[in-house]
Amino acid sequence: VIGRRPNPRAVDVYLAVGVLAIGLYFVLPADSVPQTVAYTVIGTYGIVAVLVGARRNLRGIERRVWYLFAAGLIAFVVGDTIFDAYAVGTGDVPFPSVADWIYLSAYPLLFAAITIMVARFGRRRIRIALIDAGIVTCGFVLAQWVWVLAPTAHIHEDLLDRSILIAYPAMDILIVAPLAGLIFARSARTASYVLLALAIVTLLVADEVYYGHGVNYRWLDAFWLASYVFWGAAALHPSVARLAAAPEEAAPRLDLVRLTLLGAAVAVAPVLLAVQTARGRDAHPYAVAGFGVAISALVLTRVASLVRAFDALHAAERRARLDAEASHVALIEQNERLRELDRLKDEFVGLVSHDLRTPLTSISGYVELLESDETGPLNEEQRSFLAIVSRNADRLLTLVNDLLFVARLQSGNLDLDIAEVDLAELAEHTVAAAAPRADAKGIALMLECGNGAIVLGEGGRLSQLLENLVSNAIKFTPEGGEVSVRVGANGEAVVLEVVDSGIGIPEEERQRLFERFFRASTAVARQIPGTGLGLHIAHAIVGAHGGRISVTSEVGAGTTFRVELPPATVKAEVRA
Amino acid sequence: MTAPILIADDEDDILGLLRLHLTRFGYEVVAAHDGEEALRLALERRPVLAILDVSMPKLDGLEVTRRLRQDGNVPVILLSALVQPSDVERGLEAGARAYLRKPFTGAELREQIEAALA
Repeated sequence: VIGRRPNPRAVDVYLAVGVLAIGLYFVLPADSVPQTVAYTVIGTYGIVAVLVGARRNLRGIERRVWYLFAAGLIAFVVGDTIFDAYAVGTGDVPFPSVADWIYLSAYPLLFAAITIMVARFGRRRIRIALIDAGIVTCGFVLAQWVWVLAPTAHIHEDLLDRSILIAYPAMDILIVAPLAGLIFARSARTASYVLLALAIVTLLVADEVYYGHGVNYRWLDAFWLASYVFWGAAALHPSVARLAAAPEEAAPRLDLVRLTLLGAAVAVAPVLLAVQTARGRDAHPYAVAGFGVAISALVLTRVASLVRAFDALHAAERRARLDAEASHVALIEQNERLRELDRLKDEFVGLVSHDLRTPLTSISGYVELLESDETGPLNEEQRSFLAIVSRNADRLLTLVNDLLFVARLQSGNLDLDIAEVDLAELAEHTVAAAAPRADAKGIALMLECGNGAIVLGEGGRLSQLLENLVSNAIKFTPEGGEVSVRVGANGEAVVLEVVDSGIGIPEEERQRLFERFFRASTAVARQIPGTGLGLHIAHAIVGAHGGRISVTSEVGAGTTFRVELPPATVKAEVRA
Repeated sequence: MTAPILIADDEDDILGLLRLHLTRFGYEVVAAHDGEEALRLALERRPVLAILDVSMPKLDGLEVTRRLRQDGNVPVILLSALVQPSDVERGLEAGARAYLRKPFTGAELREQIEAALA
């Protein structure tokens, strides 16, 4: 049965039918058999709804709580039916009768059900609710005692009779206490919650008017009947499943309902004293004093717990602030350490650069002397061996220079020495210098130069950029391929393109191409040596000149690097 | 006897390389292994030019350059594996005519020497 989708519309239909039935009840002749039957039918209607709703919407202990409600309501209906049977049959209702026992037994059942429901919200969560409920209950008990119980206490001589008579209003106290707890334990109110509270309140109002005045007004039946119908609606509404869930808020809000109820409870003692004195009746000073003290004590407890909660909040806030300050200090220290690390790294890179350069100076220097026939003529083989040593020394030097450059980039001090630079002229030099390498691989290296390729920048850095792009193109182009360098201007920018017919770069790697130490898988797979610094440096140089670099490529067909730099005629924004 | 060129470097290999180059260019050479020796030889031998390494024991190349510039007008070429722009700046501030980065080629060395002696 559980798992069938509850239909909220069913509740509306149920309520409409219930209201119609109550209307019909008042159309029927007063105290007639049909009206008596109608009363029992409407009560049964509510009870059936409670049972159906509990079965459909709830399980476990939550369902059993609603079975308890149903049991209580059944006791009411059975008791009432017996009373009515006496009234219709003999015209006289004996007191006390079995109906009184059955009727009264309903209250403990309802009390138990509401109490279990509230207790299931969790002890910690309902602490404040219990104090508030205590205050309201004390107020109610005091009023009930002075205005209802004390005046009826002397009606019957017989102790048992008197006790049973007093038991009715006393039973209401039994309901008020957990009802107040239920109301105060939750601020978030679902439809089912409101319907249940309404059912209990209508029951209590009807009871109180009846006991207080000792008269069974006909319209009171509407309240009792409505109570049954509301009870059933509360069980039928799908939100009943959420009723048992613990309240979300740790401390309930001080809303209007709570304030009104608490205010009324606190006002009971003084109002009662004034009213009774004004009417010249017994003011019950001991009861007023006793309950006054109880209410005051509860209010004090409540205030104390509020102050304690406030203090705790305050302390937590102070702790949080101290924590925040401490972490701020830690952050500053960490920054300091990072700066120190950065400085150490720069120092280290500088040191490595220096210590690598010193032996390289000897290697290159002495090789140069040998190659210049300083120590006698060399044969071809010796000369080619020395060329290998020289080339590798150069490679090592390039690596050292690149590392040093990247370290400078990272510390952010790439200062440009700005001048007007003819990019075409630089390209000619670069191509001329790279020609031997291209020839060695049988690569056709071509240069196309247009006019007006003048930029503002540092010649040395732009040469480095060209050299990086051209040597990459040669490196990644197989023997017999082509590399062309194009320099020109298109009015908006000076454009440099380096086009090769090389191995290409997979699309998914092009984004990462300019990252430090990144190497394309195509390069790694072919064991083409490199450090993954060249393009990172090229990107940084282009960036420092206020330009941009882009790449288009097809794996196996070739790659084109395109650099756009602001022309010298434009006031270029060059990052210093 | 013509006035020599003073060379100073704590690395014998570099010192030897400089000596070979300079001899090939036709200059007299006097060599020092540290800054103090360089200063002493500068006083004794009155060189026409000093080619000094920057990182040397006892007295570094920058300090030697400063003192040489104070006492006379011997031109100084600094030679160093410290190649950051800030290093070059410091060298020129100390009074060096030129700052040659290691590793260097014979042609670069010759060019700087001829420029300094011109």
